[in-house]
Amino acid sequence: MKSKRFQALAARPVNQDGFVGEWAEVGLIAMNSPNDPKPSIKIENGKVVELDSKKRADFDMIDRFIADYAINLDKANEVMSMNSQELAKMLVDVNVPREKIVSLTTAMTPAKIVEVVGYMNVVEMMMALQKMRARKTPSNQCHVTNVKDHPVQIAADSAEAALRGFDEHETTVGIVRYAPFNALSLLVGSQVGRGGVLTQCAIEEATELLLGMRGLTCYAETVSVYGTEPVFIDGDDTPWSKSFLASAYASRGLKMRFTSGTGSEVQMGYAEGKSMLYLEARCIYITKGAGVQGLQNGSISCIGVPGGVPSGIRAVLAENLITTMLDMEVASGNDQTFSHSDMRRTARLLMQMLPGTDFITSGYSAVPNYDNMFAGSNVDAEDYDDFNAIQRDLKVDGGLRPVSEDEVIAIRNKAARALQAVFAELGLPAITDEEVEAATYAHGSKDMPDRNVVEDLKAAEDMMKRAVTGLDIVKALSKHGFEDVAQNVLNMLKQRISGDYLHTSAIIDKDFNVISAVNNCNDYMGPGTGYQLSEARWNEIKNIPNAIRPEDIQ
Amino acid sequence: MNQQQLIEQIVREVMLSMGSGNAETGVKKEAGDCKINPKTDYPLATNRPEWVKTPTGKSLDDITLKAVLNGDVTPADVRISPETLELQAQVAESVGRTAFARNLRRAAELIAVPDDRILEIYNALRPYRSTKQELLEIANELEGKYKAFINAGFVREAAEVYEQRNRLRQD
Amino acid sequence: MAVSEKLIREVIEEVLKGFNLEDIKVERMAASAAKRLELKEKGTATTGVRKDEVVVALAPAFGRFQTKTITDIPHPDVLREVIAGIEEEGLNARVIRVLRTSDVAFIAHDAAKLSGSGIGIGIQSKGTTVIHQKDLLPLNNLELFPQAPLLDLETFRAIGKNAAKYAKGESPKPVPTRNDQMARPKFQAKAALLHIKETEHVELGGKPVELEVSFY
Repeated sequence: MKSKRFQALAARPVNQDGFVGEWAEVGLIAMNSPNDPKPSIKIENGKVVELDSKKRADFDMIDRFIADYAINLDKANEVMSMNSQELAKMLVDVNVPREKIVSLTTAMTPAKIVEVVGYMNVVEMMMALQKMRARKTPSNQCHVTNVKDHPVQIAADSAEAALRGFDEHETTVGIVRYAPFNALSLLVGSQVGRGGVLTQCAIEEATELLLGMRGLTCYAETVSVYGTEPVFIDGDDTPWSKSFLASAYASRGLKMRFTSGTGSEVQMGYAEGKSMLYLEARCIYITKGAGVQGLQNGSISCIGVPGGVPSGIRAVLAENLITTMLDMEVASGNDQTFSHSDMRRTARLLMQMLPGTDFITSGYSAVPNYDNMFAGSNVDAEDYDDFNAIQRDLKVDGGLRPVSEDEVIAIRNKAARALQAVFAELGLPAITDEEVEAATYAHGSKDMPDRNVVEDLKAAEDMMKRAVTGLDIVKALSKHGFEDVAQNVLNMLKQRISGDYLHTSAIIDKDFNVISAVNNCNDYMGPGTGYQLSEARWNEIKNIPNAIRPEDIQ
Repeated sequence: MNQQQLIEQIVREVMLSMGSGNAETGVKKEAGDCKINPKTDYPLATNRPEWVKTPTGKSLDDITLKAVLNGDVTPADVRISPETLELQAQVAESVGRTAFARNLRRAAELIAVPDDRILEIYNALRPYRSTKQELLEIANELEGKYKAFINAGFVREAAEVYEQRNRLRQD
Repeated sequence: MAVSEKLIREVIEEVLKGFNLEDIKVERMAASAAKRLELKEKGTATTGVRKDEVVVALAPAFGRFQTKTITDIPHPDVLREVIAGIEEEGLNARVIRVLRTSDVAFIAHDAAKLSGSGIGIGIQSKGTTVIHQKDLLPLNNLELFPQAPLLDLETFRAIGKNAAKYAKGESPKPVPTRNDQMARPKFQAKAALLHIKETEHVELGGKPVELEVSFY
């Protein structure tokens, strides 16, 4: 006989998830592997000669880079001699201000910082994250992609996402050679939705830089780093090449952050027996040492790995926290399908949504997940109303706002028409009125007509050969009567002249003011301090369209 | 603008008109004496627009939609200048972000390097792409041709590390 | 470059091919289920000169330490379909094993660099596949099929076919991309395990090996 209860349980979505046991020897363990090194530092003549129980002579590429570039040596001896549990308490203590503890956390070694957060449970980590996040105002990022790489749909979805509140939009491709079109469509669509939205296109590193240089994107994020040398090499880079790349972006006035996450090393087969969190800590230090302002982490594309082992989602929260402890921007994941279970994916989301981070998700799928070319996000377009309800229930700012159907239809239509004009002016394969109409009302690519892919790919290649730049887009928009959008795109290009948005945690508001961890520093010190919802923002969150208004009832 | 800032601005403009090579070092020294105040000076575009010039000598106000349509603004005009990056590096330092400031100073040196060459150097720094000699030649080029001294040192260090770790190209 | 007899032979074959296309046309391979696969090692793989070949590179454990993909498709069937796809287009498949890495992008790029046509295919044991071209950056590609659980035999055949079309200088319509957002939560931890096991067979600095393939 079979138990009816077990039958019912077996049918639950959570049992579709892949769980595995720990296997410490190969690094299939979230935190505290028996092979993780003991924290230590020895400094001679201003040079680190021992790091986390390893002598300089035995350093690999990553050890050397971290030792020489990533640690504030002035305070290193002091903090290394402090009790890790006491340091963990200071992180949670609302009476210890962020700026005071940052001078200590930036002087720790990777093994030390991992030991410190190892004392904390998830509620304590969330309290610490609320205080340690660099920018005072929390924000959110979205993904805008689709299975067909349909440019008109990208423009429309981006415009809607801007209206819904996302400050950053990221796209990627199904077919690599579509990248120039995707970047172009995202830029135009986002600036129709709201001036000041930052856009990026996640592709191979050198190509991503080229798109940025041409003014087709506003910033970059998919610049991956890894915690062991063999995996770094498989990623086709070194800490030196990646640092050079970081400077290359800044030299063109372009904002950028690195990307890493727990589980990538074990996923790629070279974890050297270390825990996922320890290896991720090394990535965070590489980012710091390269002089990059921020990092996207929270396991990201490897979430199924920490998600499958015990305490894995706690480790993911810990890696976000460590990033803020090193005084960097954190775009905190929640951007990949993690579970079949709505309960599990919500629990995972709340870890970042409740304390608030620089970008709570990185990003939220602004399209239905079947169209998400990052292989699906933890939250998608069909979760919009749920997300808005959670903001309202808990009085939490997750970066989104309720919108009306009319305004969404109007903005999607405008974005599609703007892109139609740009394509016509640049001599790209025509966008038909049918495509504009379809994109205006579409939910996903199933609602969109197919394009001639071969023709599009040829035109995209040609567009790069002709060196079309952001200024050409400005001209095309203006010529076809989209004066306001043209001005917005130009304003985004102007950001790279002043470089204000290169700074830690920078976002740009609708009036093109830069808001960053220089002029909007997190000053949380307990109840009533730090970020507070303004009355206007709270009214926005409160007013979901489907709430019954008491005054309407007789 | 206070007097010191006014003097700085004049010096910067004079230096710029004398050729960019000297302007860099000149401004760095001048600006180094000045304590930038992140609370009052940042964001530069809003609070100190008069400090911000494109490498072609244009101000932010010159970059208008009209000028773009006229063809008076070209891609070379929507670029950051070494002087502005130096100011941003000082902002970063003033809020304790020294590693970030180092990156911005490396970046200031790379402004002079053309897009294609930047991409080539980046690719040459990737694993197994270059011999030690090739990397050292790149370092010499950065130093000699572009006065990119910090970057040259950085590439030489990479050459040494790649040799130790067997990450050079094996022919 | 040293001119070997093999090289001359290949060049002559290439020239002859231009004269008499009909004779070269390979009989369409019947895609009947071959249960077993024999991979005979024939020494270090060298760069081909035939413009009509596509090199298929297998990951270190493919078909020897591991025998099926993440969704239990037998390796003999995978390889047979890819080869059949290439031959359907009138081109030749040359199969090698890459030992220096288990990363599919680099495996495919190595294949492309050794391929006379400049087009290569890399296949991992778990099924992840890439079509590559020798002049692209290693982490770029012509077509990438990252979601191994979604690849069926039909897709593997289409991959072979498209690779052959690229080799002929055509611009084929890419094999339709599939997307199942729930593949990750279901398979990623298993994928990690399979990849760890594959990576155990990587030989750092190891040279690629020419393989003679027979199905029976």
